[in-house]
Amino acid sequence: MSKPVVISVQDLRKDFMLSHSGVASLKTLVLKWKKPSLQKLEVLRGISFEVRESECLAIIGRNGAGKSTLLSLLARIYRPTAGTIEIRGRLAPLLELGAGFHPDLTGLENIFVNGMILGISKKELEKRLDQIIEFSELYNHIDSPVRTYSSGMSARLGFAIAVHVDADVLLLDEVLAVGDFDFRQKCARKIDEMREQRKTILMVSHGSTDVERLADRCIWLQNGVAAMEGDPKAVMEAYQQNSTNTPGL
Amino acid sequence: MLAELKALWQYRELLISMVSRDLKIRYKNSFFGFLWSFINPLTTVIVISYIFKSVIGQPIQNFSAYVLAAYLPYMFFSMAIMDATGSVLANLGIVKKIYFPRETLPLTSIIANFIHFLLAQVVFFTYLTVLFILNPKDVPFQATTIYLPLLLVISFLLATGIGLLCSAVNTFFEDVKYIMGFVLQMMLFLSPIMWVAEKMAYVTPRRYLLMELLNPVGVLCNAFRKVLLAPTPVNVNFGDTPVASNIPGHGPLNTILANHDVAMPALPIEWGMLAYTGALSLIVFFGGYWVFNRYKWRFVERP
Repeated sequence: MSKPVVISVQDLRKDFMLSHSGVASLKTLVLKWKKPSLQKLEVLRGISFEVRESECLAIIGRNGAGKSTLLSLLARIYRPTAGTIEIRGRLAPLLELGAGFHPDLTGLENIFVNGMILGISKKELEKRLDQIIEFSELYNHIDSPVRTYSSGMSARLGFAIAVHVDADVLLLDEVLAVGDFDFRQKCARKIDEMREQRKTILMVSHGSTDVERLADRCIWLQNGVAAMEGDPKAVMEAYQQNSTNTPGL
Repeated sequence: MLAELKALWQYRELLISMVSRDLKIRYKNSFFGFLWSFINPLTTVIVISYIFKSVIGQPIQNFSAYVLAAYLPYMFFSMAIMDATGSVLANLGIVKKIYFPRETLPLTSIIANFIHFLLAQVVFFTYLTVLFILNPKDVPFQATTIYLPLLLVISFLLATGIGLLCSAVNTFFEDVKYIMGFVLQMMLFLSPIMWVAEKMAYVTPRRYLLMELLNPVGVLCNAFRKVLLAPTPVNVNFGDTPVASNIPGHGPLNTILANHDVAMPALPIEWGMLAYTGALSLIVFFGGYWVFNRYKWRFVERP
């Protein structure tokens, strides 16, 4: 592959401080001054990978393996404890259904707020408004407050915005798991189309069909390190084998 | 800090839309919604004026205008700082899910309240016009009103600095919200809003200086009053303590009977103190922004 590297992650580490008190107050600070009740939790312990242009990389792994942390780090929500992340071009993270939607605003108003959060200008959004509404299939509901939406509806709207902001890199965190069959088909077609437009996609998924159908490459994350990397089918098989052998956590 | 400001500039449209959303929610019912948000300060000022003029005795003409001139900036500080303090915590859900410059959250609160404050100034001038119509003898509009933008800039910087600082710290220690509520409540009494600065300045000049040094909000409230309204002599009661030094326009103080009111000239605009407050506001602004930038990456990892 000679295509340019779009995402470059070098020896990425992320620690979290686990608090047992759970309450943030001056009282806990004063009382626990000498013995902080914080415990270090290493979520990512040194991950390196590269994603090239128009590639689709899938990340699989058990709950708590660090998949979502990895995506959040790429989306600049967390700052890495160590290591570097380099991303060329604009990023459209879709980390949760309707992330950043304001429940009291209408779907239309949320398109603007969310679009601007993703770094696109109001003018551009107005141009793409029809496309977004059409893709989300929310025609009649677009003027209703988002709190009246079903989870599938807000996921559709979120996905519609993220794919229409003309980002170079798309981060998807299990967003394909919601929505009905038709919409998932549509999303898959859209992802294919985006890859033809040389967009790069990084997705976290549990669905083996999604991974095998969409991804070029797959990384299996286990205990904060990449346990296996390579062809989606092979990695998925190994992962499922491992899961059935050691059930539970 | 330059890089941070550059990132913020890229997201200016987001900031604008968030501010307009904030104001839209406040003025939802268009004209009446707008009106309602001024009924609170107006009734407060009327009550304060009545109590302090008729019951306690603060015989200044148009005292209500003097109260309003100082109360409106106080309202701005109080509301902007309280809104900003809780802004990051209230939006933690979005902060955890999506990247955007975190400063936009407290800045939205400050800017929305600042615009509200500007609108309140319009209401204030309307109020002055009404007073003028009722009593055309005293000219309400002052030439010194041209200094108003300067005061607005200083107020904005100070509120932004405190707002950034408090919103960052409040994310980890929610006590800040209660402390600020208490401090701002105290500032209402410790600032020359319900009383005139002259009384304190003449009788206990050192305490007055201390108040001004520690309370930039008080200095600004007084400066708004001085800039917007005509200087009026103030009746000061020196009590029975002997006061040294002569006061312009008066004989030696010992000729004044103890416990008698003396009409004292109004103090001029305190430029020196204003310069100090301006410098302090700049320090608070950059200091607050610095602290905010230090903590903003840890908001999402809040224990």
